[in-house]
Amino acid sequence: MSVQGIILIDLMGLGMILWILNMVRTKKLHIGFAAIWTLAIVGMMLIISVPPLLYLLPVVVGAIFPASALSLLAFVFIFMVLIFFSMQLSIISARQTELIQALALRELAEKEEKEANS
Amino acid sequence: MDPKVLIVIPAHNEEKTITAVITKLRQVAPDYDRVVVNDGSRDRTAEILDQLGEKQLRLIHNLGYGEALQTGLKYGLMRGYDIIVSIDADGQHQPEDVPRLVTALQESGADLVIGSRFCEGHSYNTPIDRRLGQLLFSHLTRILLGQRIYDTSSGFKAMRAAACQTIVNGSFMDFHIESLVQLKLMNFKIIETPVEVREREHGRSMHSIASVFKYPLKTILLTVVAFMDAFLLRRTK
Repeated sequence: MSVQGIILIDLMGLGMILWILNMVRTKKLHIGFAAIWTLAIVGMMLIISVPPLLYLLPVVVGAIFPASALSLLAFVFIFMVLIFFSMQLSIISARQTELIQALALRELAEKEEKEANS
Repeated sequence: MDPKVLIVIPAHNEEKTITAVITKLRQVAPDYDRVVVNDGSRDRTAEILDQLGEKQLRLIHNLGYGEALQTGLKYGLMRGYDIIVSIDADGQHQPEDVPRLVTALQESGADLVIGSRFCEGHSYNTPIDRRLGQLLFSHLTRILLGQRIYDTSSGFKAMRAAACQTIVNGSFMDFHIESLVQLKLMNFKIIETPVEVREREHGRSMHSIASVFKYPLKTILLTVVAFMDAFLLRRTK
């Protein structure tokens, strides 16, 4: 990859990391998610900025071209992130269900207690 | 001593049928307690239940049939009921069958009695896609459990507290085949008793076109999960 290309990608990566940090600061992004995205961006910057890593990647994943290896890596990463987000959504949904049920049960218990006392 | 019985009625937008169901239940099962799980209804269901003086568990959002029923089961377990009966609020089930289901549960020594639309030559007019699904899951129970359950998706059931506890703690969607598999693998006794079911006159069924594809897939996945749950629970015990 050309030096201009590496500089451009590294600058974009740094910009994205700053954006992520700002979102954490303004409480728009959970620190756990920020860590995942920062790790992915740093990984991408490293692979692209260090030529031996870029050329080692196709050998490791069995690809002919570095671009194909990077695409595969990106696909696997996106797939895993989507599964992770599905899991997070399911957890939130399950907690919401429990809360709604607990609220209904408490409301009826209070009503019954009030009726028993009166 | 007579067992404490609770009738759980999950209801979502059932303003047209809930009064008739409650009135009939009061006549035919006066000794049993009732609780309606108002599953985020946007119509007058809550208001009608208040006017009738019925106990209701108000879910502030629509959680769906499974979770609404689960809330009712949790309430029953918290209050120490021995037997819990679930019946639909849409008027399809006959309230007269409730005492029959409870008697069948007590006399047979079973842990769960299913009010079945299909057993012993009974037939119920149901769309072909659901009938096929029903047949598939019915035969699946025969293969997996060695006992054919003819109506795996009936919402009309009577169950003992121990069975409820297992279900409430497990992974379930609508308390259909996935729960039956788990109960059976945990050595609970399940029987079916024939009931008459009326055609739905008001409101909309919870089954949509999308559910034709989604329901079987979700149910099969949950059945596998139920197998895993039962296996792990048995190993822990």
